Amino acid sequence: MTKILGKKELESWLSSIMKDRTLVAPKHVDDLTLFSPVQSVEEIAFNYENTNLSPKELFFPRTDTLFTVERKDSEMEITPAVIEQETVIFGIRPCDAWGIATLDGPYLDDPADSLWAQHRAKTTMIGLACTKPAPQCFCTSMGSAPNDSSNVDILLTEVDEGYAVETVTAKGERLLQGVELKESDVKPSVPSCDTDVPAEGIVEATQKVFDDPYWSRLADRCIHCNICAYVCPTCYCFDVRDRTDRGKIERIRTWESCQSKGFTRIAGGYDPRADKGTRLRQRFCHKLLYFPQQFGPLGCVGCGRCVTACPVNIDIREIISDLQELGAKVGQGSN
Amino acid sequence: MVKEATEKVIPNPFVPYPATLKSVIDLTPDVKLFTLELDRGEDEFDYKPGQFAFVSAFGVGECPLGLTSAAHRKEGLQFAVRRVGSVTNALHQLEPGAKTGVRGPFGNFFPVDDYNGKNIIIIGGGIGFAPLRPVINTILDNRDGYADILILNGARTPQDLCFAAEFDDWAKSPRTKLELTVDAGDENWNGRVALIPDVVAELEPSPKDAIAIICGPPIMIRFTLTKLKQLGFANEQIVTTLEGKMKCGLGKCFRCNVGDKYVCRDGPVFTFEQISQFIEQF
Repeated sequence: MTKILGKKELESWLSSIMKDRTLVAPKHVDDLTLFSPVQSVEEIAFNYENTNLSPKELFFPRTDTLFTVERKDSEMEITPAVIEQETVIFGIRPCDAWGIATLDGPYLDDPADSLWAQHRAKTTMIGLACTKPAPQCFCTSMGSAPNDSSNVDILLTEVDEGYAVETVTAKGERLLQGVELKESDVKPSVPSCDTDVPAEGIVEATQKVFDDPYWSRLADRCIHCNICAYVCPTCYCFDVRDRTDRGKIERIRTWESCQSKGFTRIAGGYDPRADKGTRLRQRFCHKLLYFPQQFGPLGCVGCGRCVTACPVNIDIREIISDLQELGAKVGQGSN
Repeated sequence: MVKEATEKVIPNPFVPYPATLKSVIDLTPDVKLFTLELDRGEDEFDYKPGQFAFVSAFGVGECPLGLTSAAHRKEGLQFAVRRVGSVTNALHQLEPGAKTGVRGPFGNFFPVDDYNGKNIIIIGGGIGFAPLRPVINTILDNRDGYADILILNGARTPQDLCFAAEFDDWAKSPRTKLELTVDAGDENWNGRVALIPDVVAELEPSPKDAIAIICGPPIMIRFTLTKLKQLGFANEQIVTTLEGKMKCGLGKCFRCNVGDKYVCRDGPVFTFEQISQFIEQF
């Protein structure tokens, strides 16, 4: 039997969540759909393919305070940032939830990143299966699925009578406490994500193509605008700096991108990745080679955001195919 | 992969230990030696030659700096800081008594105990000499543990040679040779005017039972490596410490990677045998 939550019941459940927690949900903002805190159900966008920005910023904000420093005479007090707010995310897509779980690799690796860990602990994720994968989507090729419930606390799948409910974790069960679910014999089904990207064996292929001129050719058209990193659910590089405001000092971290000029420039001026080719290679080798070597999964979940956002059509799906092709040639000794 | 992040309180690894600046000494026109004392004492801050730490100039930021003191000497935490960027410029403005912060120690270290009984060749260029000073002072304080020692310190000009006040002590140590070189001399300079790799070729240190330790700008490291190889040094006999843009020291910001290796966690100390396996150039 399938547990069903009616549309009206979903709305009143979300309204009750908003009373004592921050509810973050997809919201239409001008031409975009973005995860935003919402104060009423009317603000929530239920009809969307995916948000323009990934929900990683709910765990890894664009700008996050690490600690504050206060000076009193000759004394100095350092106060670490603490995340107190309980947050519920409604409408996270399975690919994005997988992106968050993927980033547990580096961020919870010892010594754990305390802010990431706190955000994770304070957040409950209500996933929404994709009933209409977008043309740029390729999550199935990357090992997930439009109804993958592995990385959310609760997964909802739209059906005629409302939403089929799959309770995945104890946290999800707590959030659903007291919510009345109907039983039904409807079988929730979602279409598969059809784009076929040959990701199998990509780690080995990428390694073989590392020194190929492919990268600099590809980078010729890159304008290092960094949009790929900002929309990506698994890009996690950052910068750390201080911000001051009338005697108050905050050490903050901000998003940064490996495509930025000077990303690796060291004191004295030497930059091991001074040209665009080596920087672009870094982006794809991080996702397809280093990340899986270090943490297991690929650093791409197939959300397709970079595909639509890139102004010069650098397309990770094509790159994966190209690398496979080039890698196979190296294997045959004809390159 | 975890499903629910742990609820236990995790200390924030970005929070530095509060520290007080004890003394500032000019080493060269643009390098100062800072001695810091942790407000809570140094019992929990045990470090080895080659490790580094982040030092804060609150209000501007923090940057990674090689520890240039040897822990066993208990002289406080010392850093030789060249004025090159915003944080080092801010540090250069500080005076004794100033409050700062230290995060670390990070990275691996030169395994000097493993070099027992060997001839040691230490080659440093410019501010790259800073992380080699604790190696020298650790080895010289246990002089009987090692065979012949050759120290080669090079800089752009005579004024830029770091740690000149210690040259006599080093040179006076038994079976220890100190060689200095500059790229360009001045009216008072009677010493060598030559690039470090050329001096290495001239001195011809023997690879027999030897370990060569190099630190300096990447270009100097590469050319010196070539000369040492020509002299017969094997990759595993040559050790260096690499520099990388870093923001965390924790293997998270992904700024300092060379291929799948982090300079901050897998290094900064690598043998050339390890470096020869790197997929990417440092």
